[in-house]
Amino acid sequence: MDMATTHQLGTKNPARRKPGYLKRSDRRFAYLILAPAMIAFLVMVAWPFVDAMSMAFYQYTIYDTEPIFIGFENFETILTDPYVLGSWVTTAIFVAGTTLLTMFLGLSWALLMYQDFRGRAVFRTMTLLPWILPSTVSAFIWAWMLNGRYGIVNVLLMDVGAVNSPVQFLSNDVGAMMAVILTRTWISIPLFMSFFLAGLQSMEFQQIEAARIDGAGNLKIVRRLILPHLKPVFLVTGALGMIGNLQQFDIIFALTGGGPVRATSVLSIEVYKQAFQNWNLGMASAIGVLWVFTLMPIVIFYLRSLFRED
Amino acid sequence: MLELRTWREKTGFIVILAVIAFFLFFPVYWALSSAFKANAELYLSDPTFVPHRPYLGHFINAVTQGPLVLQLGNSLVTSTASALLNAVLAALAGYSFAKFDYPVKRPLMLLILSAQMFPFGVLLISIYPMLQSVGLLDTRIGLTISYIVFALPVSTYMMYSYFKQVPNELIEAAKVDGASNMRIFRRIVMPISLPAFITVALYAFMWSWNDLLYSMTLITSDDKRTVGPGLLLRYINENNADWGGAMAASFIVAAPIILVFSVLQKQFIGGVTSGAVK
Repeated sequence: MDMATTHQLGTKNPARRKPGYLKRSDRRFAYLILAPAMIAFLVMVAWPFVDAMSMAFYQYTIYDTEPIFIGFENFETILTDPYVLGSWVTTAIFVAGTTLLTMFLGLSWALLMYQDFRGRAVFRTMTLLPWILPSTVSAFIWAWMLNGRYGIVNVLLMDVGAVNSPVQFLSNDVGAMMAVILTRTWISIPLFMSFFLAGLQSMEFQQIEAARIDGAGNLKIVRRLILPHLKPVFLVTGALGMIGNLQQFDIIFALTGGGPVRATSVLSIEVYKQAFQNWNLGMASAIGVLWVFTLMPIVIFYLRSLFRED
Repeated sequence: MLELRTWREKTGFIVILAVIAFFLFFPVYWALSSAFKANAELYLSDPTFVPHRPYLGHFINAVTQGPLVLQLGNSLVTSTASALLNAVLAALAGYSFAKFDYPVKRPLMLLILSAQMFPFGVLLISIYPMLQSVGLLDTRIGLTISYIVFALPVSTYMMYSYFKQVPNELIEAAKVDGASNMRIFRRIVMPISLPAFITVALYAFMWSWNDLLYSMTLITSDDKRTVGPGLLLRYINENNADWGGAMAASFIVAAPIILVFSVLQKQFIGGVTSGAVK
């Protein structure tokens, strides 16, 4: 019976049928193979999220044997705490700075890699290197480069006469922020370059040819043809970059530990310190709620652009 | 493709290429070069570009003194296990989403994708006590399971994108021949999806190998520590920085991921970009 119906369905104009089978046994199979991932997801991602969010309404420190319900007290504390708000601003600076710089350099690099020149393949492959290095390693490399005594950056700056004495990058506010933005940008360029290059490769070659025959110069072609064509890529990479940078912890922790004092203490560092250094889980969750509400609009925007194409 | 006609355009191209290439690649070269310099040469006020006498002492110390080898082993075990776990779960779920229809499909896909709204640091607040209560805190198994958080949502989506491109006729033909769903998945779908499977596994491997936050928080014993926190604990020392050692150890830690990647990079970057930007 089963086989007969399938067979009939299969012979009835297959092009017009929706993908997948709506038979009971097939549906069972679909649920069965979805179950493992779904269970893992609910236990490790969805439930911890709900649980951590609800923790924000409790007092739960190392001195409490179990969480005590305190309503909105944690939120009152963080919203009047200059440090938390300062950390939100620090996060905004870090995310905006890194995302913009990465997009600019990623696009420039993609335009260069889009050209035909000898050695392009080697460049393209090597480009991925900063992206695949473990975050601790990248942090070490830049900490060494920016070292206030022997760092090559200072040597070069002094050689060209830009500064008279070595800059202590990691021990002053602006320098530390520049260092984390620079390091994170360095790591993200390869990925952004790949996105932009994929966008460039989907361009109609004839369009550019036609513009050239009309006498358009390279700058005009980039401005009038290439940038408009890349608009969707800009939106997606911008959203992805912001999501990734808002989540960033490892690089900042390894490079500056959130310091000096609190100069690079972004929300991720703040939550970590509250939770696993002060063991104040309720407060950490409350800051987490602020963090999630910052992320949410960007993720929603990204998902909408993703699903619109489906 | 743009045409560089004038001398000015060609020069401009070369200058910009040189500047960005320097920014991208010089740090890696400099770290490598520093790893091969003895301390006397490393701490010069006027540093040498190429090590005068290549010195292997830092590499030897990194391996023979301290727990680096043990930590590499720990990282290898947890990263491989989490890569396989993640790829298997994502392949099954991705196939289910791509080739079947059922009422809750769309909301479930949205839920999994919207997980990017849940910062890893926030999830950790709850994962920590959870692992503690089931006795998996400070175990490699607990760490492996917790790595689901990083890669599963995106991996599932990558597999889904891939399976959507598999023609339905292939599956329907096998159905007509009377093959069961399980058999079709094992005999037809799995073999052709091997490249995507490897991409997803590598993606998860990379996350786990490079992780610092989770391994630092969920592992507290020295003998179970992985490479990220291991490096940090050993070399971040305000008063007595061993930069040569730090650079050598960094390259030992980065080597496996560079190796795996150089073999699979073409496949990989296509998979990641198509998973995020279609």
